[in-house]
Amino acid sequence: MRTTIVIDPVTRIEGHLQIEVTVDQVGGQLQVVGARSAGTMFRGFEIILIGRDPRDAVPYTQRICGVCPVPHAMAACLTLESAFGITPPDNGRILRNLVLGANFIDSHLLHFYHLSILDYVNTTGLLDQSPWIPRYTTADMVSGSAAATLISHYVTALEMRRKAHQMGAIFGGKLPCVGSFVVGGCTEQVTSEKIADFRGLLSEVRSFIDNVYLADASTLADRFPGYYQLGRGYGNLLAFGAFDLNASGSSKLFAPGRYVDGAVAPFDPAQITEYVAYSWYTAACGNKHPSQGLTEPEADKLGAYSWTKAPRYASQVYELGPLARMWVNNQYNRGISAMDRIVARAQEAKKIADAMNGWLDELVPGAPAYQPSSIPGQATGVGLTEAPRGGLGHWIQISDSVISCYQVVTPTSWNGSPRDDLGQSGPIEAALVGTPVGDVNQPVEVLRVVHSFDPCLACSVHLVRPGEAVVRARVRQPGRARRA
Amino acid sequence: MRIGRRDFLKLAAGAVAAGKLAPAALARLAEVLLSRDAPRVIWLQGAGCDGCAVSTLNSIHYASFDSLLLNTLDVKFQSNVMAAAGDLAVSAAQAAGAQPGYILIIEGAIPIGAAGKYCGLWPGTTMQQAVQQFSVNAGYILALGSCACFGGVVAGAPNPTDARSVGQVLGNDSRLVNVPGCPAHPDWLVGTLTYLINHGRLPPLDAHRRPLQYFGQRVHDKCFRRHKLCGQMVFAQQLGQGGCLEHVGCKGKKAYSDCPVRKWNAGGGGRYGVNWCVGAGSPCLGCCEPGFPDGMSPFYVYSARRGEEPRAPARVAGRKGRGGARRGAEKQRALAWAEQTPLPGPGGRS
Repeated sequence: MRTTIVIDPVTRIEGHLQIEVTVDQVGGQLQVVGARSAGTMFRGFEIILIGRDPRDAVPYTQRICGVCPVPHAMAACLTLESAFGITPPDNGRILRNLVLGANFIDSHLLHFYHLSILDYVNTTGLLDQSPWIPRYTTADMVSGSAAATLISHYVTALEMRRKAHQMGAIFGGKLPCVGSFVVGGCTEQVTSEKIADFRGLLSEVRSFIDNVYLADASTLADRFPGYYQLGRGYGNLLAFGAFDLNASGSSKLFAPGRYVDGAVAPFDPAQITEYVAYSWYTAACGNKHPSQGLTEPEADKLGAYSWTKAPRYASQVYELGPLARMWVNNQYNRGISAMDRIVARAQEAKKIADAMNGWLDELVPGAPAYQPSSIPGQATGVGLTEAPRGGLGHWIQISDSVISCYQVVTPTSWNGSPRDDLGQSGPIEAALVGTPVGDVNQPVEVLRVVHSFDPCLACSVHLVRPGEAVVRARVRQPGRARRA
Repeated sequence: MRIGRRDFLKLAAGAVAAGKLAPAALARLAEVLLSRDAPRVIWLQGAGCDGCAVSTLNSIHYASFDSLLLNTLDVKFQSNVMAAAGDLAVSAAQAAGAQPGYILIIEGAIPIGAAGKYCGLWPGTTMQQAVQQFSVNAGYILALGSCACFGGVVAGAPNPTDARSVGQVLGNDSRLVNVPGCPAHPDWLVGTLTYLINHGRLPPLDAHRRPLQYFGQRVHDKCFRRHKLCGQMVFAQQLGQGGCLEHVGCKGKKAYSDCPVRKWNAGGGGRYGVNWCVGAGSPCLGCCEPGFPDGMSPFYVYSARRGEEPRAPARVAGRKGRGGARRGAEKQRALAWAEQTPLPGPGGRS
């Protein structure tokens, strides 16, 4: 018998997400046969940015997401620098990479230990108080001494991710939401004392990643080998590339690229298109490249069910994230599944942390990290980088020295997208199909697959639930200056 | 792993055996711990970015985050950390909400446009409805972060979702404390919670219902960049330079917080942070003020006299004698602040 399970809210993520799955008996096994993901919050950042000083996009867009503010700061800086036609000094580029790396490590530790591990561990006898009760307890969970070890690491990881933030603050000013990222580089000065402080914290965190995080990820993989077969989805991977290793950005720690039809292929940003057939936006917003993007809500649109647009690459559905980055850079190729995402994420944390140690040596104390510039009257710009959850793109149009259009396409817009004009499901929706469900009242298997993507919903823009009374949103036309 | 309350009693019993605590002291300790349940907390997240929750994870000065969860608070609903999802999570929130006296923490703004549907928390309940519903039985209401306190960036012009602050939605509520910041500093939240729990009443508040202990001091007044060279203020003329950042957009003269002293992202010592915005050469955004962001932006433009060129440094230096009454009031506030703040003078790196 077909049953619909609605998980709302999906907890232990960033933001507001609803997952609706239809389960049915397939070959004697209850499993997911259809899925729909919808976010339940809309803030309208792209509308708020119109008419503002272009440089304000850096502090503003960081407030899109409190878990990954630094990637937004990085994307906004790159966008503005491409529009202003400037390149930051090497010190500025390296400082920004270091702070971004600290945010990646913080986010990966937070995801593994605090957001996803409770799907796999029976905490009875270990954490018997709120907020860890009520909880799901199924037979297919880690218990006993292995559970006690993982939960003790849960607590240690809180300290380690705090130290990762502390590292970021040394050159970023504070975290979450850094102050020092500006168009033209970084306002913080490089001193040997700060380098030493950063390295001290980094070595502690590296030791935790090498000796604890990687071991725990592999313990989890050994204990739940079934998840190497679940949550595959389309199997197309896409990385925008991040961590510029030279001034021109031609060399990166993670090169851009995509994996499709069994081969790695180059990435051409011009091939990105956003569809809105199943999203609450006017038809005019659809089939557009983000540089021409439009955010014009149409809440009474028939057939739509999400406020995420559906970004696609050459009309195909792609998954973004650590697995995609590691795969197209030939660092990981075991397979594409829920467990592969978790293991690739852990290996990526090590790769980034090791690289950061080398970047510290490249800093030149006393040399400038900031390059002054002036705001152009008319310009367009694009900034592509990676957030912990996948590729992030910002696009800007500047008219009369203010922002006339700003579009943000986040990784969870891709991974959590609804169906597109061609009827193709989004990556999370597709990955859920085929997931067995042992107990419809304790859908931990569904949560494991959803959490493997590390969804970050505040980044995406949504409004109402499917099936609810529709509302007419107050539409602000892009292009209207906020103030003279 | 840190210890829970019950484990603590066991450890304390062990300490008695080792002769560290008198048995009578242990009895009193057990009485205190068992007679007073940990304060219950319901933490709702509306139109925000969860940045204040992530910032709270960095807590260390008053208590680390794991210690808060394990030993101090009884967090009934917090969607970033709780084990349950979906209906199970909602039932936990509703069961807790039926018992009066909890601390309600509200993070994120409350969009009231489109009948509140810009932000839904769970089936059939918008953020607006949840705030109304859970405020009824709350003992204290703590608005966390500038979005919840004043609307914040979500309410930035043209405020597409008609986002409101907790104070705007609930009206003049005597249980409300505003702990702003974008994000809020973990010490501001945990310190305020500590005060509520220990004293059983609201801490001294300013006109914007912010705790004076943290928001009684103007950022500019304790700023390490506010020094004079040969009697003249030194101003940075562009980002990346030394001196006061006022001419490159710093809003520290309009902003109240203890950032210059407390700083951010404290380490193991737990007293001071490693850095802060102005410490990193970045202008203060005034993120704790009701005017943030529209009254504080453009962020990188001198704003004391918007539209005019910055005054010559020599004239700015000659400010003596101006604003005497205002300075007097500020001095009083500064003294009150200094008395209440246990932190000694500036330390650590600047």
